[in-house]
This record gives sequence, C-alpha cells and structure tokens, in this order.
Amino acid sequence: MKMTHGNTDRWTQHIRHTLMRYDEALLRQVAHKLCKPRNQWPVDELLERLVSAFDNAAMIDRRLKDMPAACRQILAVIGQSQQPRWPVGSLVEILVCLGAQDGLAPLVALLESGLLLPELFPFGTPVDEDKISGRSKLRNFESWLGRSEPMPMLLASPGVSKRVASEELGITCPAVKAAKDAPVHEADGLDWPLRLAVLWQQVLAAPLRRTQQKEYFKRDYDRLRTDPLLCAAPTDVLAAVPDPGFFAAALASASGLLHEEQSELRAGAWPAYWKGSLPTLLAEFWTSLSRVNSWGPATGHAPSDGPANPYPSAYLLALLLLSRLPEKSWTTPQAIEDWIAARHPYWLGKKGATLGIAAFLLGVAYSLRLVQATKSDDGWLVRLSSLGRWVMGVDDKPPTLPTFKQTLLVQPNLEMLAYRQGLTPELIAGLSKIATWKGLGPACTLQLEPHSVYRALEMGESFASIVHMLEGHGMKALPGAVLDSLKTWSNKRELISIYSAGAIFEFASTAEMNEAIARGLPAIRLTDRLAIVANENGIAYQNFRLTGTRDYTLPPERCVDVEADGVTLNVDLARSDLLLETDVQRFAEPIPQTSVQPRRAYRITPASILAARQQGVTMNHLETWFVQRTGLPISAAAMLLMAGPDAAPIELRRQMVLHVANEHLADGLQQWPGTRTFIKGRLGPTALVLDENDIGLLTERLKELGAKVMFEG
Amino acid sequence: MIEKAQTRIPVKLHRNVALVQTEDALLAEELLAHKKLAADIVGRLSDRVLLIRPGRVDAVVQELRRMGHTPSVL
Repeated sequence: MKMTHGNTDRWTQHIRHTLMRYDEALLRQVAHKLCKPRNQWPVDELLERLVSAFDNAAMIDRRLKDMPAACRQILAVIGQSQQPRWPVGSLVEILVCLGAQDGLAPLVALLESGLLLPELFPFGTPVDEDKISGRSKLRNFESWLGRSEPMPMLLASPGVSKRVASEELGITCPAVKAAKDAPVHEADGLDWPLRLAVLWQQVLAAPLRRTQQKEYFKRDYDRLRTDPLLCAAPTDVLAAVPDPGFFAAALASASGLLHEEQSELRAGAWPAYWKGSLPTLLAEFWTSLSRVNSWGPATGHAPSDGPANPYPSAYLLALLLLSRLPEKSWTTPQAIEDWIAARHPYWLGKKGATLGIAAFLLGVAYSLRLVQATKSDDGWLVRLSSLGRWVMGVDDKPPTLPTFKQTLLVQPNLEMLAYRQGLTPELIAGLSKIATWKGLGPACTLQLEPHSVYRALEMGESFASIVHMLEGHGMKALPGAVLDSLKTWSNKRELISIYSAGAIFEFASTAEMNEAIARGLPAIRLTDRLAIVANENGIAYQNFRLTGTRDYTLPPERCVDVEADGVTLNVDLARSDLLLETDVQRFAEPIPQTSVQPRRAYRITPASILAARQQGVTMNHLETWFVQRTGLPISAAAMLLMAGPDAAPIELRRQMVLHVANEHLADGLQQWPGTRTFIKGRLGPTALVLDENDIGLLTERLKELGAKVMFEG
Repeated sequence: MIEKAQTRIPVKLHRNVALVQTEDALLAEELLAHKKLAADIVGRLSDRVLLIRPGRVDAVVQELRRMGHTPSVL
C-alpha cells in the first residue's frame, strides 16, 4: 500500500469502514476532538461528518496545530516514509529517538483525534457491513494498543500526513567534508531486481517451504544459503550484505513478488509496479523494507525477530537523518549508526552492540541506489542519491535515468547477453519468463530453453510477443536458428490443450449447437453435439433451457436401470453424464432407439464383453460400475458373461437321480448311516444323486426300511 | 413491432469436466497407448478428445510434461 494520491477513494472507504467499527461512545469522543459538532447528531450523520472532515484541509490544519509537536512530527515521519502503515512499536521507537519522553502518548492522542487510524481490517479489502456486530466494535484505544498478537498497526491517511510534511523534526545530521573532486559512487540499482528475478524463477519451479516458526525447511534453507546466483557478492556494493539469498527472499515476500500459501512461499504473477520505471520499483523496495522481519543487516537471516524487529524504524531514521544533510554534503555511516545507537530504545543500554546500520547504508541502501558514496581518508562517506532524495520527499520528481533500449544480444546457440544499463523492471520480468538467468554481472547471461519458453507461453506470452520482445530490445536481428527453435517450441505447445474444469454443452442436434454459437456462446466444438467453454463466466444462460446439469466434482450418479434379463441397460439421459456414456460403451453395445422416451439402451453381449476384456475392463471394475450406476450388485447374467472364460470347466455327466416324496425323507437318507454312504450329492430338496453301481445295495437297504422303490420306465 | 422472442435452446450442461484435446487423432492414440496416462483417461468423446478421470487433471498434466509434451492448460 504505497502512499499515492490516486487511491483517495479507497482511503475514504477505509476511513468510513474503520469508523463504523468504533463503538458509539468512542465515535462521539473522536468526533468531539476532530470536527467538534455543536449538536447531538445521529450516529450515521456523525459518521459522514467525520469522513468528510478528512477532506477539509483547513480543519485538519487547525486540529494539527493544537496537537503537541511530537504528534505532528510522527505524522511527518510517516508521510516521509511513503508508507502509511506502521507497527505501533516502530512508531514508538521513532518518537523516542526524536526526543519524546513517552513514545506512546502522541500516538494515543492522534488516535483519539481521528488523525491516526487503528488497522481493524486489511486496507483495500471488501468489508461486509452486516458482519460488524456490537460485540466486535472498538470501545477504547488503550486495550487495543495493549494487545501483542497480532501487533497493532496504525494507518495515517496521506491527506493528513501531507499537511505536516514541512514539520521540523529537530534532528540534524553531522556533515563531513569530502576531498575535493573525489569520485562519487552510485549503484545502478539493478542488483536486487535481478536477484529477485532469479529467485522468482527458482520459486516458481519449487516453492520455498517454511515451518510454523517461519524457518525454511533444510532443502530450501540450503538453496537460499548456497545458490551461486542468489548468494554471489553484489557487483557494486561497498559493504557485505549478510545472507543475500535470505534477504532476497525476505524482500520478494515483503514486496509481493512471492506470496505465502499453506506455509510455502510461492511465485505468481509479477506485481504491477514491475511495469513502472526503475525508480518506482526501487521506491517500492524501500517501503517494503519496513515489512522485512526475517533479516537484519547485522546478523543476516533472523526468522525469530518477528514484530520486535527494530530495523524498520532504524532504516527510516537513517534515511531521515541523511535527508537533513545540506545538499552535496556528506556524512559517515558510522555517525548515523552512533546517532541511532544513542537514542533507539531497542539498543539503549546494550553497549558494544552491532547495529549494522552503517553496513545497511553501504550495502542494501547503496545497492538500492538510495545513497551515494565517496571515499575519504577515514573510509566511506554517504549522502542521499537523487533517487533517495525523491524517496524521502526532499525532491519532488524522481531522477530521469538514461535509457538504452537495444540491450540484448541473442546468439545462435540460444544464449543471451543482457547489458545492465538497458535493463528496466519490465524487461527483467519479461526476460525472466522466457529465459533462464545464468549469470548476473555487468552483462547478464540468460539461456533460452524449451521449458523456459513453455513457462512464458503458460503465463500468457505467445510466439509473436516473445519475438517482439527479443527483437525490440535486440542489438542485432534474431538469428534464424533462434527463431526456428522458438517457433518449434511454441508450435509444440499448441498440440495438446487441457481443460481443467470446463463446461460442456450437450445439444440435441448439430443445428442447435450452431445456433447457440451463432448467439455468442464462446465455445469450442468437440463433436457434432458437444461444445466446451473453458470459463463459465462468459455464458449468457438466458439463451438456454437446461434439461439436465451434472457436476463432475460430485460422485457418479445412479442413472441406469437393468432389465430382467440382466444384460439390457436403460440409461436415464436427464441424469447421465459423459463418463457413463463413454464407460458403458466399453462393455455394452448400443441398442437402436425405438421409442421417443429420453432413454438410451445398451446390451451386454458376449462380443461386447470380449472387447471389454481386451481393453482391460476387469470384473472388479464392472462390479463397482453396477453399484455406482444402478445401485444394485452386478447382475448374474453380466457376471456369467464376464467370468465365463475364467470359470472352472463345465462338466456334463450322466447321473442316477433318486426322487423322494418330501425333503424330510431326503434329509433322512443323507443322515442315516445305512444309506448316507450311497448319496453322492443333492440336486434339490427332494432329489438326490446316486452312483449307478450302488443301486442294488441301496435298494436292499430301502427294502429293509419297508420303502418301495420304483425305477423309471 | 414486437420481435419474435428467441426460443431457449435445450441443452444438457456438464460442469467441471476435465479433458484433453489433441491436435490430431494420432496424438490421442499415442496418449492412450501410454499406460500411466491411460489409467487416468476414462473415455474418448471423439478421435481427438479424451475425458480425464475427475480429480486427476494435475497428474495428467505432470505425466504429459514428463513425456516431453507441453500442454496448454486452459
């Protein structure tokens, strides 16, 4: 959230929704101090008067004039930081450094006057007014400021902070004389944009995983610690930047190039500010430094610092001091560090502590082009660069940097040289999509590779746009071999399209599909009756009457009836889906339709089952299909056809069958030791199987019982 | 003059369908011949259009990339 004047409406909305979350008593208290109403206005009207008060410059000036100087000073500092959102802790630290006895009191006074706002919801997010309940309303600032998790954040509207832009802060920076004609050093500011581009490529391929304590997993920790591109010493830096890979990750995360998702840092689309000029990008990095909590200039990677991190306020104080130097004057980085060490509450009483502010100025701030440096007998001297002066509000306009559009040299072996002086944020982002960074130096090297070109195509680039970029910035015409490779890779990608969640329209006839497309349905034809739309948002549903809807994220629906023969399957077309239509045809044959009913019929035949088995359809698959689609177990007939070849051989044999009058007699013959040895099997309740050779013996036993035996024929 | 209102076209809507569309039928055959890929293909709507098993679209994309293809995911 940069402090620009283009988002006035968003600020007005944010102020309104913040004040809506105040309890009525608190709202009236704030109104009493800000716009001093003479009457007891209803809450809604009071709210509107408060919101409109923020547009009343004269009123804001009067209120600010009545406030203690420390209040105006902290608002001026917030304005100068270009960052309207600050943690309470950092603002307290700055106030103490500026000489306030109680760093919190000015903030409370500003909150009570409505000139500072508590961050009750993220800036720019949509707010559901109905969800603001009485219990969730803010009753007083003291208890809100007293919370520790999450750290309270304060917001200063640009409309308020700009009213005190010229407020005297009461600080001076000790100036030091530099040697006459000593060369002035200024970095090109490209070092971190380039490292972030390298990091973006790496994270896109493999996200950075973090533990709940915000420490990286070992594999990613090692990547950030040892990667040769991320960890190489910057080409133009005056003091070492510790753990540069971790700093790059922290800066990329704070500036929105990487985003956190399920404990992972992931790369996505390039933020809009990468399309702007280099000064705009570096100013964005400067404001992002206030959100870097896992890295410090003294110790490097420090994931546990968290909200107690003193550096956001220390960085700002360092540049505030430099902005107080007369133009063209110099100071020593150590003088800035000593000034902060003597006043900053975090380091007070820690004698001999290493702040790292001098290293920050000569390392990060210098490589971000915020400061210039010159060499003296006692070491480096620093001052704000023209970019730094603009960032700190000393100059109105950003510096104009020379442009060299033709800066790429693409070689036939697909290697590319990119001369730094011609690189812009937009070109760095564009090159990062289409080629792999191989080296960062005065001339950076990149390699065009199939996967890098596919990555660009997946991110919306095309063969034409890639060629346009390379030719537009090329120092020479693109070699034919490079053009051919780009064309081959681009064409190859056109061969397969995947719809991950498309909407298929199934029409009754080709004519109706043509009519729908003529009416503007943005669909691609798949068959003579099916057309697919990649995104449902552009569909005018008033043109259609839905005869059925099927969502493929839901489990399969029962839509098949099995006839009594066990092999004829009737499909209910209103409930069926494409999966069923394609699946059923693997093991059943369609039966020509004879009725006008919306049903389609299939029959399982020995031939269709044979084809199914050859295609890999298994009994298990068929059993599951029957349960899912018919709600019943597989039919016996279907099982017979499917299991036929695997079943044990069917045996045909002659047998002597003994028929008895009832099943009790059959049970008795099977149980009585005198006859049971002759019974070889039972065919039914009253039918028993005998061995032909045993007939004589059995007949004798039966006669002993007095039973009559009759023979067939 | 009142224009005759356009009739609504009857249509069955299949939502959240995942499918592969190839440039030609031969490529579709090639994909179906790949055992690992074929396991995630549940049907063929036409000679160039293959239905992907619900929930397996990421696996199909990864397998295609492993095979050296560069699918365009829409």
